[in-house]
Amino acid sequence: MSKANSVMNVSSADRIDDLVVSLAPVRRVRKRTGLLVVAAATLLAIALSAPVFGLRPDLAAMNPAEIVLLRSGALLLTGIAAALAVTASASPGVGSRREGWRWALGAMLLFPAASGLLILGGAPYPLEILAASSVPYCIGISLSSALAIGGLLTAWLRRGAVTELRRAGWLTGLAAGALGTFVYNLGCPSNSVHYVALWYGISVGSAALAGRLMVPPLLRW
Amino acid sequence: MRADDASLSALMSKAQAGDREAYRAVLEHSRDWLVRFYRGRIDPAGADDLVQETLMSIHAKRATYDPSRPFLPWLAAIARYRWVDRLRRTYRRSETELDETLAEGDHEADVVARISIDRMLARLSEGQGEAIRLVKIEGLSIAEASRRTGQSVSLVKVNIHRGLRKLAEHVESE
Repeated sequence: MSKANSVMNVSSADRIDDLVVSLAPVRRVRKRTGLLVVAAATLLAIALSAPVFGLRPDLAAMNPAEIVLLRSGALLLTGIAAALAVTASASPGVGSRREGWRWALGAMLLFPAASGLLILGGAPYPLEILAASSVPYCIGISLSSALAIGGLLTAWLRRGAVTELRRAGWLTGLAAGALGTFVYNLGCPSNSVHYVALWYGISVGSAALAGRLMVPPLLRW
Repeated sequence: MRADDASLSALMSKAQAGDREAYRAVLEHSRDWLVRFYRGRIDPAGADDLVQETLMSIHAKRATYDPSRPFLPWLAAIARYRWVDRLRRTYRRSETELDETLAEGDHEADVVARISIDRMLARLSEGQGEAIRLVKIEGLSIAEASRRTGQSVSLVKVNIHRGLRKLAEHVESE
């Protein structure tokens, strides 16, 4: 590629000659590899955090509370759908956008919606969740896991040809944030929908925002 | 068009495996396609550079093509990305003055080739589209575009900035 670095004073025929001469076989960028990277990073985060911070007793006993099943499902769906969309964008194509992640995110937004409806319905807001001792762990584990997942996903995406950088940034952050928060959720002691709405929402939202701000410059080509 | 796409897809698959003859055929066809694709959508002086930049991107990103999918949408996405990037870079270089206006006498094939980029431009507001067409494609200065459109100089700049951002968000949109 050294000769191909400048477009000045080279005819397109010469350019093609250069590119043909420098051709080497390549391994295709496959979406499933990106998904495996995301899955491996998530499992690694679980493997690192679970022995230190522990699993919920009901999960360890394979008898989780309903709220744990619901929030785990919503977080996983959101994370997987966002990861599917962003890994697909590594191999671009006009008209090939995937937007299924919007529906999964809609499912995740049911938690703040439910929290808001309960408050509007007159249910007392559990103020203790604002200063719960688990909050630093919630934010810390969620975001550090998201950083690991998002970092590895971004490194993989750099092999691709992402053409919509801001979208990819949001989706990378959303996937990493949802899956990172899923990691924390396995040990989260709270059963409150308000807790999920507030602190999980902050974790996922801030990871998505961080992705939007940090990822696009890394994917530019 | 479909037969062309199918054969290009097969050729690109061979190129990914290192077949140089197949690769040459892909690049030559892509070059001809890109010349039509960009005609009338970039200042004439920069058109050849942009075609070459896009060929280099095809080379650098050839591993991202999936032979199970059509070739031209992949090529078009890369071409659109390079086109938007080119518009942004010339904007950052601060209003390069160009004397040339659009080449006339486009052929029917060019109209077909324009559709892809025109669909992107159609997503812009009237003011954004007009500012980008005049300054980034026809090569007028900001001041000339301001006089032509009746927009203030600062509004032309804002419209270009926001329009380019919107274009960058719709590279893969139909």
